[in-house]
Amino acid sequence: MIRAKQSMNPTVNEAARVSDWREWRPSLNPLLRRIAAVFGLSAVLVLCWRAAEIRPSALFEASAAASVLHFLRSLFPPDLSPDFLRVVGAAIGRTLAMAIAGTTLSIVIGLPLGALATATLYRRGVLMAGERKGAGLLLLAGLSRAARALLGFLRAVPDLMWGLLFVVAVGLGSLAGALALAVSYCGVLGRVYADVFEDVDPRPLEALHATGATRAQVFLQAIWPQAAPGVVAYTLYSFECCVRAASVLGFIGAGGIGYEINLSMRLFEYGQVFTLIIAFVVLVAATDALSRSLRRRLRANAPLGSPAHLPLILGRGLRERLISTGWLTKGRIAVVAIAAVAVSFYASGFAGGALTDPELPRRVTRFIGAMFPPESDPSFLRSLVVPLFQTVGISVMGTLVGIGVGSVLSLPATSTLVFAEADAAGRRSLPSRLWRWAVYTAARLMLNALRSIPELIWVLVCILAVGLGPFAGTVAIGLHTGGVLGKLYAETLEEVPTQPVEALRASGASLFQILLWGMWPQARPMLASYTVLRWETNLRVSTILGLVGGGGLGQAIYNNVQLGFYPRVATLIAIVYLLVIATDWIGDRLRRRPAVA
Amino acid sequence: MIYSLDQITKSYPTRHGPVSSLNGLTFDVRPGERVALIGPSGAGKTTLFRLLNATLRPTSGALRFDGQDVGAMAGRELRAMRRRIGTIYQQHHLVPSLTALENALCGRLGYWSLLETIRNAVRRDQRETERAMAALEAVGLADKHQARADQLSGGQQQRLAVARVLMQDPGVILADEPFASLDPALTGAIASLLTGLASGGQRTLVVTLHDVELALRYFPRIVALRDGRVVFDQAPAEVSRGALDALYAGNSEPEEALGDKGEAKHESYRERSCAR
Repeated sequence: MIRAKQSMNPTVNEAARVSDWREWRPSLNPLLRRIAAVFGLSAVLVLCWRAAEIRPSALFEASAAASVLHFLRSLFPPDLSPDFLRVVGAAIGRTLAMAIAGTTLSIVIGLPLGALATATLYRRGVLMAGERKGAGLLLLAGLSRAARALLGFLRAVPDLMWGLLFVVAVGLGSLAGALALAVSYCGVLGRVYADVFEDVDPRPLEALHATGATRAQVFLQAIWPQAAPGVVAYTLYSFECCVRAASVLGFIGAGGIGYEINLSMRLFEYGQVFTLIIAFVVLVAATDALSRSLRRRLRANAPLGSPAHLPLILGRGLRERLISTGWLTKGRIAVVAIAAVAVSFYASGFAGGALTDPELPRRVTRFIGAMFPPESDPSFLRSLVVPLFQTVGISVMGTLVGIGVGSVLSLPATSTLVFAEADAAGRRSLPSRLWRWAVYTAARLMLNALRSIPELIWVLVCILAVGLGPFAGTVAIGLHTGGVLGKLYAETLEEVPTQPVEALRASGASLFQILLWGMWPQARPMLASYTVLRWETNLRVSTILGLVGGGGLGQAIYNNVQLGFYPRVATLIAIVYLLVIATDWIGDRLRRRPAVA
Repeated sequence: MIYSLDQITKSYPTRHGPVSSLNGLTFDVRPGERVALIGPSGAGKTTLFRLLNATLRPTSGALRFDGQDVGAMAGRELRAMRRRIGTIYQQHHLVPSLTALENALCGRLGYWSLLETIRNAVRRDQRETERAMAALEAVGLADKHQARADQLSGGQQQRLAVARVLMQDPGVILADEPFASLDPALTGAIASLLTGLASGGQRTLVVTLHDVELALRYFPRIVALRDGRVVFDQAPAEVSRGALDALYAGNSEPEEALGDKGEAKHESYRERSCAR
């Protein structure tokens, strides 16, 4: 009876066929497609494997194990002598000052650039609808496009590379670090600001525009109030990133905690290294906690689905809770923030020394001038082919290692898999519960350790084990990525809708079956998207690993900066920029594939 | 006795102290029986369901399934027992990103060993696929086997949930409001499908229904719950109008029931408009 009813309504089937995207793809034999895809993929993998100089045997050599063991053993005891602790304290202070000054500058530069790059203000949408296309408007539209491109460029070149350039331009020290952060993060922030401004509800804009409001009035009255929560949330998140980046910038001479780690590493003072790493982890954790509580207090919760929402997902734990502000009023937060910013600028060397040096502007302009025209000598370009492939290879293989490490560690770190609800049927003995708790905690701790130590420090450790070169870089990226992805995977699996899972459990499915049939199909798009995003990040990282001996383009960049071959440096920056743009494009395509998303 | 419940209570801890959902529930279900549970919302029907399919443990009291104490079971034994109980959830609880065919196959999971599970992930077993197609056929969804579960209408999802239970081939079928999202024609079809499954005396059927008329029409035994207790337990002929009025009296149920029915009507409208 039901069947008769179904066959009588062809419209249903028709509708389904039209909505099926597969019908609209160019028809190519699916088998051929699959074969081509498999071949293409394996070719890429083999190439990447070769480029990254993967030598799994190196990991199992006795000497590798011995040197890592020696390293681990000499980490203990951490150096806690008062003298050294004073050094650590000063380093933390300098790093924090660098991060605060850098973030402040990046806001100051990023906000106007972001507003200028906003398409709804200058290029298309309700405000442009009725305008006559005059020369002024065209000029503004051109400026807006240029601002967007500039922001994209500033963002694409990795922060460490900016640091390297600023160290040459303004000299060693926190000033170079703060400026590098400012330039790099104003690109990041400006782009996000523009996206947030564009994502606001356009109806109020239209209404204000119709009353004859100027563009500035529309921005202040209609766009800003809607965008402010997202802007604040993303700015705080970018401050967290800045603190991490500031620590790493020390590796190339910007001072602070990274500088100390690099120094102690090279002096084989591993006890000091351990203290510094602990200090670094505490610093990052404290910043994250501060930023999270600030976001909560300022109620800066970005609207769901906006790009600014992403960091809120990443910085989990931020629940839409309205907490009474207590003694920490907005005014007091502002006072503290202004004081911190002032101190930071002073401590980073903005007040005296290098910046007031009358020679400085001339030095910077001479430096920039020396980069043009960029080097285009064929033999030089040819010499970059191998490092270029190395960079791509490291990022791909490193991400694959990270996927492996992350997947293995994420399962025991998924609370919904390890623990059942307290009142769920099925008795659990006390030893079983203790054992489960231990496994879960160990997995979480391991993920946190892998994640909180930056790639550059992992490179130094990996070099001890497998020697200089791209393989060390690959393993380093793999370990760090494993920590990041493992945590994201675990959280994604935990947040999968539970109803289907409950249905499978009720039908007698085992844990493995529930994972395979209930959780994986639901989590897959999210997992794939996180992984692709991480690969894009890893490509940026792999361009700079060479600074500390991890292979890839970084080595060439470092050498040419040191030798003062600035036209070559300009060429390298252009190559890195193109590489990052290409990766982002590929990543975007991958994420938009219907099979993935 | 397939089920024997003895003084079952269930309470949930909340911020304001424990809130009890079931207060000393006692009744038995014989193999092959068809039982309809009725009662106002908040009577504890859903909690009772989760106890009956062994995904929840009673706070106190003994729950026996086919003579075995459910509370004492764990691991493999518990899973084997769950396999013998098929549940059709009110919200269907399908895996949204899997196709109808795959969702039907989910019903077989309890039968597969670890090895078979892996083998089926690599290459799907032909016999199981045919069986799943037959189950989809039985509920009239064969032509939708490639559609993702979240692309199906509410009524189609409901039928897919039935197909999944057909695949599971359980001794007991629990269904929570199985007709809530079906129009009258489909309700008749699914009702006769479910009662047909149970008619041979082989399968037991326990159903919650807000629609008392349906309960009286299709089910030879009516168990009425209110405030976590059994109010009456009778054959439809013995159920009096007065008892029903008392059951639903002074409760927010009328509104709730209206809401449910409104939804059902909307759904059936959608189904019909599709059919045209």
